[in-house]
Amino acid sequence: MILDHLFWIMRIGLYVQGHSEQIVSDNSKLKNSKEWIQRHSYNARICHWVTVISFGYLFWSGLMIFLQFPELYWGKVGFQGHPAVFRLSDWGLSWDQADALGDRRWGRNYHYLFAWIFAFNGIAYLGWNVWQKKFYKKMFPQREEFQLSHIKTDIQNHLQFKAPAGEKAKSYNFLQKMSYLIVLFVLFPLMFISGFAQMPAFTAILPELIDIFGGRQTARTLHVVCTLLLVLFLIVHIIEVFIAGAGNQIRSMITGKYAISTETNE
Amino acid sequence: MKNTKPKTLSRRQLISRAGALGGILLTGCDSNIYTPPTIRDGLMGVADVLTMASQRFLLSNQALVQEHDINEITKNFPVWNQSNPEDEEYQRLRRGSFAEWRLSVEGLVNQPISLSLEDLKRFPKRTQITSHICEQGWSAIAQWTGAPLLKILEAAGGVKPEARYVVIDAYGGWYEGYDMFDVVHPQTILAYGMNGKDLPQGNGAPVRLRVERHCGYKQLKFIKSIQVVSSMDGFGRGTGGLNSDFDFHWYAGA
Repeated sequence: MILDHLFWIMRIGLYVQGHSEQIVSDNSKLKNSKEWIQRHSYNARICHWVTVISFGYLFWSGLMIFLQFPELYWGKVGFQGHPAVFRLSDWGLSWDQADALGDRRWGRNYHYLFAWIFAFNGIAYLGWNVWQKKFYKKMFPQREEFQLSHIKTDIQNHLQFKAPAGEKAKSYNFLQKMSYLIVLFVLFPLMFISGFAQMPAFTAILPELIDIFGGRQTARTLHVVCTLLLVLFLIVHIIEVFIAGAGNQIRSMITGKYAISTETNE
Repeated sequence: MKNTKPKTLSRRQLISRAGALGGILLTGCDSNIYTPPTIRDGLMGVADVLTMASQRFLLSNQALVQEHDINEITKNFPVWNQSNPEDEEYQRLRRGSFAEWRLSVEGLVNQPISLSLEDLKRFPKRTQITSHICEQGWSAIAQWTGAPLLKILEAAGGVKPEARYVVIDAYGGWYEGYDMFDVVHPQTILAYGMNGKDLPQGNGAPVRLRVERHCGYKQLKFIKSIQVVSSMDGFGRGTGGLNSDFDFHWYAGA
């Protein structure tokens, strides 16, 4: 089934490649000299789409599991009747309604399957980048980017939904880099660690893992909080793709080719 | 506590048990421990084996699970799923305060035995305060007192070399298979006591299993009998337990 998905992404990729010239000419009203760059490597593109599929499945299967116990607690213990930090029934969906929507048997099976796919994908992505040694320059903000004035213009550009053009469009900007780094090195690892802390085997393997959260119920709650942060990232990410030109962006993530209009239309 | 040995055991039997015990420990350490009784088709089976093998590898030192402080015990421990099996025999035993309850230990053991609740209480007891972790998401802490499953198999003369799984049947139709890796774990006990009292009805009276490195659905309640087998074929759909017959993971450590 994951192969089906990759097959469709390839088909879309071939389609977009076939129509790329047309899309670009539709997109940029100024048909000035265009420069084509190779924006994303094979590795980045494959890993990106595997992440899309596995995050989709992880989110959905996680939701299916959650709906059959739609309460969150803080600390070591938590059960129906225990003081909760979140109860779905307070938000209009009763326990029985949520239970009917969820399916934890399906959810648990697919959650673990895609957690493994997600993990191997992440290892492949990071391993390749370490090997290529391009990661640091591409993803980490350089010294001058930390200047306050630089960050200020960056924020202003974002608030005005202004996409970078010309030379600037060739690299990631400060806020973009920071949000990718937080997702890659804070939220993704937190998802795994807070997931492990909920597993009974880990009370024997590494009890400290549960202690650092202060209990497995806290870990479960943070697992959900991190999910919401990742969904927030996803929403902003998709909005930004549209601001920067959806056709160009999506093509670059499928075929790698990215059009830079040298004449900025400001 | 003056008589901690089960009364059915003589000194000679105790000595002959030593070899059998070695057999159990050996089975607990071979490569069988990395895979469930049946591996599901496709990627799902691959993921199952990856999860089980990686965790079993990390657990291979048979480390104990975290035990809690006595003041961390949950006051109103939940009663989940079955609280009173609709089973004629069970109801009869319950009315007689389980005085007539007998636990038969059969199959690939050298000397099948049948134990009463009193017999069980004469075994060396183990008390542990642990977290019960339900696969649905809830968890609670309780103190469990019981007889180690390993000691019970020893009392039955130890297991035969081809023994691989211990199948536990429960009143109400549940059954579940456990491999020797979990059987030999010191915290795997048949619990007859909870929080210093007899095991309450809703939590599995008269005896339930504690197999601490697994989710709640492996902690069988209302135990009826124990069989030692070489294969899970012939039990339900042959997947190794009622939960996995219904397509839940057989290995419930995750």
